[in-house]
Amino acid sequence: MKALIAVLGAVISLAGTAAPVFAADAGQLALGKEKFDYWCDTCHAPDPREAGRYLPGTASLNAKYNGSRPGALVDRTDLLPPYVELVIRKGMEGMPFFRKTEISDAEMKAIAAYLSRNTRQ
Amino acid sequence: MPIKLPPGISAAAFAEAVKEFQGAVGADWVFTSEDDLDTYRDAYSISWGHDDEYLASAAVAPDTVEQVQAVVRIANKYKIPLYAISTGKNLTYGGSAPTYSGSVVVDLKRMKRVLKVDDKRNFALVEPGCSYYDLYQHIKDRGLKVWIDCPDPGWGSPIGNALDHGVGYTASPFRDHWGSHCGMEVVLPNGEIMRTGMGASPTSDTWQDYKYGVGPHVDGLFAQGNFGIVTKMGFWLFPQPESWMTGTVHVPKYSDYSALVDHCNYLEDAHLATGQTMYGSNLGGPGVIATPEYRALMANGWPTIEQLDAYAAQRKVPAWRAKLQFYGPEKAVRASWAYAQRRISAAIPGATFTDIEFATLPLSPAQEKTHHLVNFGIPNMAIFQIVARPPAGPNNANPYDGHTDFFAVVSRSGSEVFRAMKAVYDVQKELKIDPITATPFSSPVTWHHKVFFMAAGGVGNQRGDAEHNRRMRALYAAYIEKMAAAGFPAYRTNPGAQDLLVKQFSFNNNALLKFQEALKDAVDPNGIMSPGRYGLWPKQLRGKKA
Repeated sequence: MKALIAVLGAVISLAGTAAPVFAADAGQLALGKEKFDYWCDTCHAPDPREAGRYLPGTASLNAKYNGSRPGALVDRTDLLPPYVELVIRKGMEGMPFFRKTEISDAEMKAIAAYLSRNTRQ
Repeated sequence: MPIKLPPGISAAAFAEAVKEFQGAVGADWVFTSEDDLDTYRDAYSISWGHDDEYLASAAVAPDTVEQVQAVVRIANKYKIPLYAISTGKNLTYGGSAPTYSGSVVVDLKRMKRVLKVDDKRNFALVEPGCSYYDLYQHIKDRGLKVWIDCPDPGWGSPIGNALDHGVGYTASPFRDHWGSHCGMEVVLPNGEIMRTGMGASPTSDTWQDYKYGVGPHVDGLFAQGNFGIVTKMGFWLFPQPESWMTGTVHVPKYSDYSALVDHCNYLEDAHLATGQTMYGSNLGGPGVIATPEYRALMANGWPTIEQLDAYAAQRKVPAWRAKLQFYGPEKAVRASWAYAQRRISAAIPGATFTDIEFATLPLSPAQEKTHHLVNFGIPNMAIFQIVARPPAGPNNANPYDGHTDFFAVVSRSGSEVFRAMKAVYDVQKELKIDPITATPFSSPVTWHHKVFFMAAGGVGNQRGDAEHNRRMRALYAAYIEKMAAAGFPAYRTNPGAQDLLVKQFSFNNNALLKFQEALKDAVDPNGIMSPGRYGLWPKQLRGKKA
């Protein structure tokens, strides 16, 4: 699993600055934001210290990327939907996976679209 | 992972049962693919990928009590074991996985309704899939004047957490989540719906006010138990206090700890210090125990109290501290804090008081940024820092994929805390682990208001490292057995260790377990309900655990 994530991560690093990689309609992006805010924001919101709650996902990614990428997922410009979907369903280190009763496939795809909205070719 | 069939069930019979489950809850809510069942593994299991990892054969997600009944009846027809989860976030204690491989997980996440919150009689009635976040938001959206009491991770279920004897952070009676429940609705192994306490009265309005009803009080059978699927449960709530105050007591000598604990017990049990007392040592922490002075202190084994008193004196810092917390009207909390200072000053020479703070409630958004939110009934996920990359933490390069907690039940006395911390040290020494997490400055946690819990640490899983996980299982089993032998059994554990933990509760030739087994055989003759949960197996499987 970690190897697969690494491969996808390498693919993601090829993303450049042209057109958005992934086209999503406004409704899907709105659903993605809603579900991200409900499920993910509590660990992955921007600025781990500002909230005073030690947002562990953001802090962990800040430590992992050491400035090469933003720690907050909403600030990323290199995420691709398959990678986001993989992490949601397979988990990542201390982050457990999510079941379909928590995040349905449609909601998962919407979250993936939302987090990939700023990714350019 | 290959999909496991329920033991003794043919593939054809299982396929028939799956069809019936689909008929009961809808095809979209029955999960049998390998990918889907991967999400019903225990993400934090120290048996991950090992032969003894508990795996589901399928998962079924009902949306109503009637659908739960239908699922139970189908399971009885085919004699297929079930295992119910609420939100499935009981990480470190099993997650969303069953306690018996081949079980069908009954995933209650869709049943997430807040059925009632009353801020005059101060209770809530919820379904099992409702999370602490959901209940908190429901209360906030309506401006209701009650607090929830949540554990560290806010995404868990009030019902699921209480059913595993979970604990929290606000005022003393509410931190015991099981103790503050009131009234349950349960689907029994035969598919019948039962309500407990006053819920059994068709006419009473006091289901969430008075626990007992009449006759034997059976609620406890469903906590860490396997006598039914809980579909509704009531909880008493803390009426929103007007203000909060805190102050920290410091005592100079190591040997002052016992007196400090005794006085804090008095203050909390007398409902003067109404919040959680939090202990710590000014001599502990990673920065201190890495010093040559600390290594010298520990060089000849566990130090005496006299040596520890001398060590504290040399370092010129107070040995122990206790953070007291008070909820209530301003005059009351200020008077209680003043009394606490007078009482402790008179009894413990050299006691000092710092970090005094007063706040009106609810906290402002700015205050929420700087306070320990669970002390104010506000759910969050900060605790996951223990499995994330801390900026300068020991697992920075390769964080654990999870953690497996061990918390021993210890009486609220200084001498017993000293014995318990040495017991943890002894286990780690015996297993030749550098006992860096077991120091004479370890502090108990005070989630429960009547006992301390003492952590024994260092257990975390790596999903891809079988040898690491094997060592972790051995360490964890040693904690279970050796801490119990020293007088400190755990309050809760993961499915892989539940048989072993239950064996430690053996008074009079296991009279308690035998009584529970007799009940189990009578109530669940087909043995379909969560077999093996906390060591309680149906007669068909007793002694033959898969």
